[in-house]
Amino acid sequence: MSKIAEIMEEPVIASVSPAPEIGTVPKMLSGGQALMESLLAEGVDTIFGYPGGAIMPIYDALYDYTDRIRHVLVRHEQGASHAAEGYARSSGRVGVCMATSGPGATNLVTGIADAIIDCTPMVAITGQVASHLLGTDAFQETDVIGITTPICKWNYQIIDPDEIPEILAKAFFIAQAGKPGPVLIDITKDAQTKLMSKKFEYKKVEKLAGYHPRRVPKIEQVEKAAEMINNAKRPYILFGHGVLISEAVKEFQAFVEKTDIPCASTLLGLSGMPIDHPNYMGWLGMHGMYAPNVMTDECDVLIAIGMRFDDRVTGDAELFAKQARIIHIEIDPAEIEKIKKTEAPVVGDIKEVLNLLMPLVKKGDYTAWKNEFRKLEPEEKLKVTDRDLGGSDQIKMAEVVKMVSDKTKGEACVVVDVGQHQMVAARYYQFKKPHSYIASGGLGTMGFAIPAALGAKMGAPDRNVIAFIGDGCFQMTIQELGTIAQSGLAVKLIILNNNFLGMVRQWQQLFFDKRYSFVELQNPDFITIARGFGIDGHKCTERESLEESIDKMLNHQGSYLLEVVVEKEENVFPMVPAGRSVSEIRLE
Amino acid sequence: MSTYTICVFTENSIGLLNKITVIFTRRRINIDSLTVSETERKGISRFTIVIKHEKREEVEKLVRQTRKIVEVLAVFGYLNDDIVYNEIALFKIATPLGSKPLDVDTINRVYKAWVVYWGLDYVAIQKTGTEVEIFDFFKYLKPYGIIEFVRSGRVAVGKTPQGLVEYLPEDMEWEYYL
Repeated sequence: MSKIAEIMEEPVIASVSPAPEIGTVPKMLSGGQALMESLLAEGVDTIFGYPGGAIMPIYDALYDYTDRIRHVLVRHEQGASHAAEGYARSSGRVGVCMATSGPGATNLVTGIADAIIDCTPMVAITGQVASHLLGTDAFQETDVIGITTPICKWNYQIIDPDEIPEILAKAFFIAQAGKPGPVLIDITKDAQTKLMSKKFEYKKVEKLAGYHPRRVPKIEQVEKAAEMINNAKRPYILFGHGVLISEAVKEFQAFVEKTDIPCASTLLGLSGMPIDHPNYMGWLGMHGMYAPNVMTDECDVLIAIGMRFDDRVTGDAELFAKQARIIHIEIDPAEIEKIKKTEAPVVGDIKEVLNLLMPLVKKGDYTAWKNEFRKLEPEEKLKVTDRDLGGSDQIKMAEVVKMVSDKTKGEACVVVDVGQHQMVAARYYQFKKPHSYIASGGLGTMGFAIPAALGAKMGAPDRNVIAFIGDGCFQMTIQELGTIAQSGLAVKLIILNNNFLGMVRQWQQLFFDKRYSFVELQNPDFITIARGFGIDGHKCTERESLEESIDKMLNHQGSYLLEVVVEKEENVFPMVPAGRSVSEIRLE
Repeated sequence: MSTYTICVFTENSIGLLNKITVIFTRRRINIDSLTVSETERKGISRFTIVIKHEKREEVEKLVRQTRKIVEVLAVFGYLNDDIVYNEIALFKIATPLGSKPLDVDTINRVYKAWVVYWGLDYVAIQKTGTEVEIFDFFKYLKPYGIIEFVRSGRVAVGKTPQGLVEYLPEDMEWEYYL
């Protein structure tokens, strides 16, 4: 047996008491304890995780820290990474998840990939086999660093406990700085067990040689942007997730009000502006609203703020806003001109940019221009909204969302899964408060909502967290109902059940000659399942009982599942067919 | 198709090669040659990566994306005209008894190549030059019978008065070019 293995099996080391007694020589911390101290130093109060062989020394250390760190035992590691995302998105803080080596780590992967594309700050900690076993195909050994390299902002493998404070400080800095994202730290089992050779000291990182993103933009870039804004006749602001990430909601609103420019959001920019604001025209994208989409073809200056011209926003990127001069305000220099040629790039933190831009911009008279947006609204109301909200025997998804929105006064934190219900929730929930639409936007991860809703509730315990989930999505992470029940928190879950993988079915109907290939589901009795997990719920099938059902759910103490049976073959419109120009938008 | 030489300066840490190459892989860009070594500054590695690409903008995007890697300190992209560059090649040529003798004088004077090892029935010849020069020499040697041929990746320095490391973050203040 090697030296390292001997050390590992020595039980004394794993149970060193965390706090040294006064007057005694301070004991050195084990790697696991150093990790806990590092997390505390970063202000971490919640970890979503799942134990296993290669992370047991960390869990053993955690046992002594449960008074300061709340650990949420998920039912599958994917749930841990999505819950960490939900937590980060509702609180603006770093979400932390933890799993063992091998399958534990690979199960985190979907959530990590989701976090990088939606710029969610996350630190994932994985256990790893002991360092002398690395590369030997040991039990539950996977090359997690190799697997997660393309989907992490940064990753690192620790084999020496002395590295823990320094690497964790780096990890938390990188996860939050600039454009936030996930960082994975892989810690070998021996590094968790071994004692540090020096006293634990934690210094927060403020910048790194290779990474210190520009927060304050170059003034000449700001001046150029201001000049373009002031000379515009038909300026149009598209804002994205960046406004929320940078906590620049107030500054952004002030900017919009000062210039009086009409604005629209991307899907993840939703709730960055109250829906009833006179300058807010709605959201755009493949299933976005009519006016915000088609007016991209009419503006002369397009001011893109904290968004990245995703293909679900632009359709055919070549044709998108091709008449417009573009100003792109963005923190990540790699996003500049990635998709669209930009006349005025402004690289910096949205809040800093807006603060500099504010004194340089003038109020314009855009009444006529704004009216052009409003003029398109009746057509959309007639063809889309009115139809979505009624005119059928069966309940429509939109009615449910609208009613929940009205009853919660647009103030709930809405978590959605992926598919038709996600788009309907975006359309019909009347957002009044920021950080209120938590969705898997970039990756489109089905199964996101149940764990993310729990995470969101933990990140914002005072808010009413309501999740809209499709019947397909619900079954992808259904086991996390157990986590919700065990947490004792109140998360409201609504299944909009059409017995179909609705979005795929819609595409098959529109683009594949109604060849419904594997989209119909034989669903279980969701309410019985929820009750089995200890969550009460009921099923609503009739329009007459919808209001009563929603009231019952909202008034219920604790978590609740409401299943609403909705129209089976409903389509989501407007729709810009994939890869087409927004001018080809379909309303029916 | 133009040839681009991309010089990447990085901290010297494990796994960095993988972090850089996955960016090329994602964009389906094939790496023609790759050389890595430590620079005149301790702890800083220099990758010289040669690729061919039709669109300059795409290479610029690649450069910006590479720059995003945390351990990457600076990235520079060049066309051939902007750099002085070379490669090195080794040729193993059979020289059994009775075979046509090598014309060492031509090898030295015309091709600027050197015999660096004499074996019993073979020699090893070293040639430094551009890809074109090396393949010219290859053609010349072919009739003699090449047992083995190996060519290094490109090394390059920019045609600027300063050294590239001067662009690296000294006090960690580092200008983005945007």
